[in-house]
Amino acid sequence: MDSNLAAGLAMIGAIGPGIGLGIGFSKAMEAIGRNPEAAGTLFVPYILGLALTEAIGIYCLIIAIILIFAVA
Amino acid sequence: MPEAGSKLIHVVLKAEKLFSIGPLEVTNSMVGAVLASVVLLLAMVYFMRMASIVPNRMQSLIELPVELMTGIVAGTTSRWRGYVVLVIGLFVMILVANWLGLLPGVGTIGLRGEQPGELIPFVRAAGADVNFTLGLALVTFVVFVSWAIRLHGPLGYLRELAGEPRYMAPLMFPIHLISELSRLVSLSMRLFGNIFAGEILLGTMLALTTAAAFLLPLALFIPTIFLGLELLFGAVQALVFALLTMAYIILAIGERPGTEHEANAPAGNEGAQASAHAA
Repeated sequence: MDSNLAAGLAMIGAIGPGIGLGIGFSKAMEAIGRNPEAAGTLFVPYILGLALTEAIGIYCLIIAIILIFAVA
Repeated sequence: MPEAGSKLIHVVLKAEKLFSIGPLEVTNSMVGAVLASVVLLLAMVYFMRMASIVPNRMQSLIELPVELMTGIVAGTTSRWRGYVVLVIGLFVMILVANWLGLLPGVGTIGLRGEQPGELIPFVRAAGADVNFTLGLALVTFVVFVSWAIRLHGPLGYLRELAGEPRYMAPLMFPIHLISELSRLVSLSMRLFGNIFAGEILLGTMLALTTAAAFLLPLALFIPTIFLGLELLFGAVQALVFALLTMAYIILAIGERPGTEHEANAPAGNEGAQASAHAA
C-alpha cells in the first residue's frame, strides 16, 4: 500500500514535462504561423526536442512502475 | 465485475522465461526481438533478389525508411557516410519491433501460469524489455565514444570533457562525464517507458471496456483509438532513438566552423572497424 502511495506521489513529477511540451509546441506553432515554409525545417528539431522533454516524464513513470511492480 | 482488491490486468516488469537452451534462458521478449530481426532479414533478402532501377511497390516500401533517414542525416551534417547505416538500422529495427508488439496474438496467446488470471505470452513486444533497449543504447554509446576517441584521440576526448576554461575543469569534468553516461540511461529508459506503458495502457483500456456488459459497445472502438496511438508512439520513438544517435555522433565528431576540411567522409567499413576495436 505504501508503494502504491509512493508511486502516485512520483507521478507528480510529470507536471514539468507537461508544461514544457505545451510551451515547446506553442512556440513551434508560432514559428509555423509566421513562416509556413519553415514547417519542414522545423519538424526534425521539434520531434527531437519533444522526445527529450517527454523523457523526463517517462523517468517519473519508470519510478512509479518499479514501485508498483518490483517493491513488495 | 472483478472483485475489489484484484488487479485489472496482469503485467510483469521482467520478461518471462519460455524455455532454456543450455545456460541461456529464452524469454518471450527475446522471441519478439528475433521475430523483428527475421522480418528485417526477409526484407533484405527480397531487396537483394528483386531490386531493380524502377522499384515496384514492395521495394518502394523497403526504400522508404532508408530514404527518409538518409535525407534527415545528410541534411543535418556534411560528414554522414560513416554512420548513416547505423542510424537507418536502429530506426528500422526499433520500428519493426514496436509495431510487431501491436499485432493480434502478441501478448495474448500463451501458456497458463500458476496464479489464476496469469498468462505467459509466447511473444512479447521487444521494446517492453529493458535488456533490449539497454543493448541498443549500449551500441549507440560504444559508437559515439569510439568516434570521439578515433577522431580526437583518448586525451583529446578527455580534454573535450574537461571543457573550455581550463580552470573550470574540476567542476565541468564530472558534469560532462555524468551527462555522457546518462545518455545510456535516457536512451534505454525512454524507449522502455514508452513501449511498456503503452502495453499497460492497451491492456487496461481493453479490460475496462469489457468489465461490464453495458460497456461492451465501447470495447469496439476505444481500444482501437489507443492502438492507433501506440502505432504513432512506436514510430516516433524509433525515429527519436535514431535521431538522438545521430545527434550524439555529430556531437562526438564536434564539427566546428573552420574545420570543414576534415569532412572527407570516411568509408562505412572504417566506422565498423572503429566500433569493433572499441567494443
